[in-house]
Amino acid sequence: MSGIGVQTKNVINDNCPEEGFTMLRLAGFSCADFSLNGYLLNSSLYRSELNDFFDRSVQELERFFTPHKRGAEAAGITINQIHMPYPVYVPGADKEINDYLRNQVAPKSMAVCAFLGCPHIVIHGFKLARFLGSEELEWQETAEFIDSIAPLAKEAGITICIENLYDSIGGHLVEGPCCNARKAAERIDYFNDKYGAEVLGFCFDTGHANIVGLDFEDFITALGRRLKVLHIHDNDGISDLHQIPFTFARTRENRSSTDWDGFIRGLGNIGFDKVLSFETAPVLTAFPKAMKQDVLGFIADIGAFFSGELQKNRK
Amino acid sequence: MNIVCAPQGLVDPERPGRGVGDIAAAGFEGVMLDASMCCPPDEFELRGVHPESLYESMKPFLDRCGQEGLLMPIARAPHPKRNTKRSDLKEMLLQLVKESIRVCEKAGCGYLIVDPLFAGIGNRGTGCEGIGNRKSGCEGIGNRRTGCEGIGSGETRCEGIGSREAGCAGIESGKTRSGMEWEVNREYYLSLAKAAEESRVMILLQNQCREHNGHLMRGICADAEEAAAWVDALNEAAGRECFGFCMDTGVCSLCGQNIREYAAALGARMKAVVLRDCDGHYETSMLPFTCTNCGSSATDWLGVVRGLREIDFDGLLIMDLGTTAEAFSRLLHPQLLQLAYGVAEFFKWQVSMKRVLKKYDTRVLFGAGNMCRNFMKCYGDEFPPLFTCDNNRERWGERFEGLEIKAPESLKELSPDCAIFICNIYYREIEEQLREMGIRNPIEYFNDEYMPSYYFDRLEEWKGEV
Repeated sequence: MSGIGVQTKNVINDNCPEEGFTMLRLAGFSCADFSLNGYLLNSSLYRSELNDFFDRSVQELERFFTPHKRGAEAAGITINQIHMPYPVYVPGADKEINDYLRNQVAPKSMAVCAFLGCPHIVIHGFKLARFLGSEELEWQETAEFIDSIAPLAKEAGITICIENLYDSIGGHLVEGPCCNARKAAERIDYFNDKYGAEVLGFCFDTGHANIVGLDFEDFITALGRRLKVLHIHDNDGISDLHQIPFTFARTRENRSSTDWDGFIRGLGNIGFDKVLSFETAPVLTAFPKAMKQDVLGFIADIGAFFSGELQKNRK
Repeated sequence: MNIVCAPQGLVDPERPGRGVGDIAAAGFEGVMLDASMCCPPDEFELRGVHPESLYESMKPFLDRCGQEGLLMPIARAPHPKRNTKRSDLKEMLLQLVKESIRVCEKAGCGYLIVDPLFAGIGNRGTGCEGIGNRKSGCEGIGNRRTGCEGIGSGETRCEGIGSREAGCAGIESGKTRSGMEWEVNREYYLSLAKAAEESRVMILLQNQCREHNGHLMRGICADAEEAAAWVDALNEAAGRECFGFCMDTGVCSLCGQNIREYAAALGARMKAVVLRDCDGHYETSMLPFTCTNCGSSATDWLGVVRGLREIDFDGLLIMDLGTTAEAFSRLLHPQLLQLAYGVAEFFKWQVSMKRVLKKYDTRVLFGAGNMCRNFMKCYGDEFPPLFTCDNNRERWGERFEGLEIKAPESLKELSPDCAIFICNIYYREIEEQLREMGIRNPIEYFNDEYMPSYYFDRLEEWKGEV
């Protein structure tokens, strides 16, 4: 059976992390996606607002996250992936902010990842295609950023994972960085050859893929072994809702409008044996707080179902 | 670049006089010969269509277009509904497309858009018999699990299913989709090649959506590299350029695609573009720029212009506003069509901006503001102006973006073939001023609304959040 994970956001409390990790374990999870991005919110960054969390030294950050590390260990939860704060570049923001993100937040995130013993860190590529004029030029900026943290990744045995993202045009969500699987595969191979280590991999986000109509099976199959981590969540194909899989239908037949069969077939095609990790933190605020344990249990059950289906489809 | 109008929503095929007349009166040079007018996709499955009746049913439309002097440079072959569950339509479609080719020959159409077989069904798991149902294990369109054939750079050799992983041996990365949808369509399209060549018609493939329980997703040829590979492989097999591509902006938008990248990947294969707007979620053909949200268009028109300009597109622009037209009173169609034609002309102007720059060996600018700045950022190296000029005498003699700002009077000293590019939105007024000054040089309107790249301060309101 595959490991099953979920975001720590809305579950783990900094005052008593072990309690949240225990909750995850009781729900049926074996892994966690540590929401480091929760300490420097994207909504703040887009307003060019920084907080002082990453002003801490690496030693101070390690002290801060020691209870989290111990709490996860005590609960038997493996921190499989963490999410670096994003964006790491804010178009139009002061140079000071972007320098801080690159020179403080990014390397310290790598250090926290290493401290937590986590093998994967998910980053967001730069969203600059509309400014720069092409996806290739946009990638060059992201690649330069990856180059800045890849040596840290190699040293710590961490794989940086790029994620398929969306962009917004008049409120219509369209493909953003890393939505071409074949290009992503070539770029990942280039980095890994360059560093002689698996410093770069991919995080497939089902919700983002669904919004921009990607063919799940084709995309995952094209990525192959480069696919390291998942962000599993569902939406209506219109907005990035981060909801529980199978909850959206568009026709009177009431069948899921997200291609979960294609998702499993894709994972099966590549023999995916890594963690089935859910990115469904908003579900936990949508349901009454008193139902949190039940909701987490239900998400874990879906993970177990996917795991079983994957077992049958794995090639 | 020629502009044609799609007749859907505008022309009654049985009484085409008024609609065709409105299209001609609005200024369109041509109209698309859309067989769907005479055999709508809904009726296609229910009643079937007799190929021999196709020409007769289209004759009133053809005759009327002839009377109005409208060209018919492109046609669209009949097609079933996107979500058809019928897998037995191949033979009927084949005969209809062959008849469509004959109609094209009679009408002087150089291009015929032919949807791939089972265009909307996608590749698997639809639950329909014989078509891509992987779970049932049956053979059919798009059954990738069968481990059968893909196309490797135009070849049709057998490649293992595992080779779909990019970079693996036996498949050219990014260019193939191994599955029966290619095999079946390869045979289908190639069976049309001879008739198309004899009739001097080029078959155009078009990007498709597929429907997954009501959600429109990327279908056949929605991947630009795949589409390019299909066109190349078909042409290679045919031994000549019988096949090209038509990009439907509506499908690109429904699939949330980066249209600039899509167009760039298709390159010279692109012979026609359908311009239509939609909200990105539901299938509509609205007049471009009318599907808006908080003042912004839901379709990536910047990407459309960037992509087409980059590939130096010089094909057909098909204005498809069927849904918008149906919503309007027919009495307002003349005014609506005039606007549609204006929009199409706008696209033509924007797309050909760089081509117009290339026309002249030397050039100067008029205007020393942001538009001049953007010109210099994007085109200054490739098309350096001699200088710029401005009506503000206080700026004469200054340098701006590396250019000397001169008085308009200095334009009188230009060699006659040096073009003046107005970089100011008061185009007509400035042109009038220059003509009144006696300047006879070519005058062109430059515009920076859709540039290949922007300064970061240009789109500062843009804040993407994920």
